[in-house]
Amino acid sequence: MKRISIFLGNIFLPFIWMALTGQFTAGNFFIGVLLSSFALWVAAPQREILVLNSLVRLWRWLLFFLFFLWELTLASLRVVHDILTPRHRMRPAIIAVPLEIRKDIEITLLANLLTMTPGTLSLEVSPGSDVLYVHAMYVDDIEEFRRMVKEKYEKRVQRVLE
Amino acid sequence: MIVDFVAFWVVLPMLSLALVLAFIRLAIGPTLPDRVVAFELIAILLAGVIVVYAVLGEHSALFDVASVWAIISFLSVVAIAYYIEKARKP
Amino acid sequence: MMEILIAALLILGASFMLIAAIGILKMPDLYMRMSVNTKSVTLGMGFLLLALVLHFHEIGVASRALATLVFIAMTAPISSHLIGRAAYLSGVELWSETRRDELGDLYQRRPMSMEQVLFSENPPHSMDLEQEEKDTEDNF
Repeated sequence: MKRISIFLGNIFLPFIWMALTGQFTAGNFFIGVLLSSFALWVAAPQREILVLNSLVRLWRWLLFFLFFLWELTLASLRVVHDILTPRHRMRPAIIAVPLEIRKDIEITLLANLLTMTPGTLSLEVSPGSDVLYVHAMYVDDIEEFRRMVKEKYEKRVQRVLE
Repeated sequence: MIVDFVAFWVVLPMLSLALVLAFIRLAIGPTLPDRVVAFELIAILLAGVIVVYAVLGEHSALFDVASVWAIISFLSVVAIAYYIEKARKP
Repeated sequence: MMEILIAALLILGASFMLIAAIGILKMPDLYMRMSVNTKSVTLGMGFLLLALVLHFHEIGVASRALATLVFIAMTAPISSHLIGRAAYLSGVELWSETRRDELGDLYQRRPMSMEQVLFSENPPHSMDLEQEEKDTEDNF
């Protein structure tokens, strides 16, 4: 909660800075970010280097977004190939993937990410929210698929929301 | 000039063909969820048609219609999914 | 030059949408139709909106297009998850060549009320919640 309010302050204070100086440009916004993180650093109870923190977070989200776009493109091309050639080469299955992440926001992000990427569709989360049931179109080896989901997607979701 | 030509003679016919195919699935779809998926596709295809018309007619206001349309179609799909879940045989 | 780029983007977006429509007709079961649809349609809409932004070249249009695209990319997986779950619960068949159905272990694929399914595994609250749900169900 504390961290979120500091993060928001780091966004809103630059706007106040821009309104005060009357110049709405990107450069002035950046100056505002620097100044507000200095002010918050002085005022905040826990001494973190805020501007670095939020920049790192922004960078992680950017990387995550690029990863998402790349995966979306790959998935679409694979599906296009499958639709435009007459032969069916799908090997579908519904697979239970045990989860290590527990928070709702993380599970939501992972489920949405899986729905948007290669031939997978998240169907259901178990009542204790520890297993995600995924319908996948191209499953050659079930253990391999579970490992791929955990290492490729779950790790990234965990890192971006950490 | 070339944009108008392509939009009118290539893009709109492609989207119309897609609408026809989605409508076939809407007509034959064996179960209700199949029809809902076809309906969702039709809704987003119509949003695409509106976007192309915005480019053709130079009206950027038409695009607002497309975004509101996308939001409303999402809400209706959620409502129908709730209905399917509740209307199962006991 | 710009015009050619815009035309190419429009054709690309429309062809992804057409492919989604072919896919919905061709794929053998509901779940695969949905997983084909979500991706192609989102990507196609993204290309169309990019063409729109390049055509109008205004900051207002660009921000609205970005908002619409983010909205579509966020809601498309949610709605297909909802329909997929409802379809599975109401017993829509999987394709005959589906290799394994591990969700069947959770639901056992027989007609069962939603409340029974959801609350069977946490005993402390299950009774009153089930009762409450039944009451609302009757009123409904």
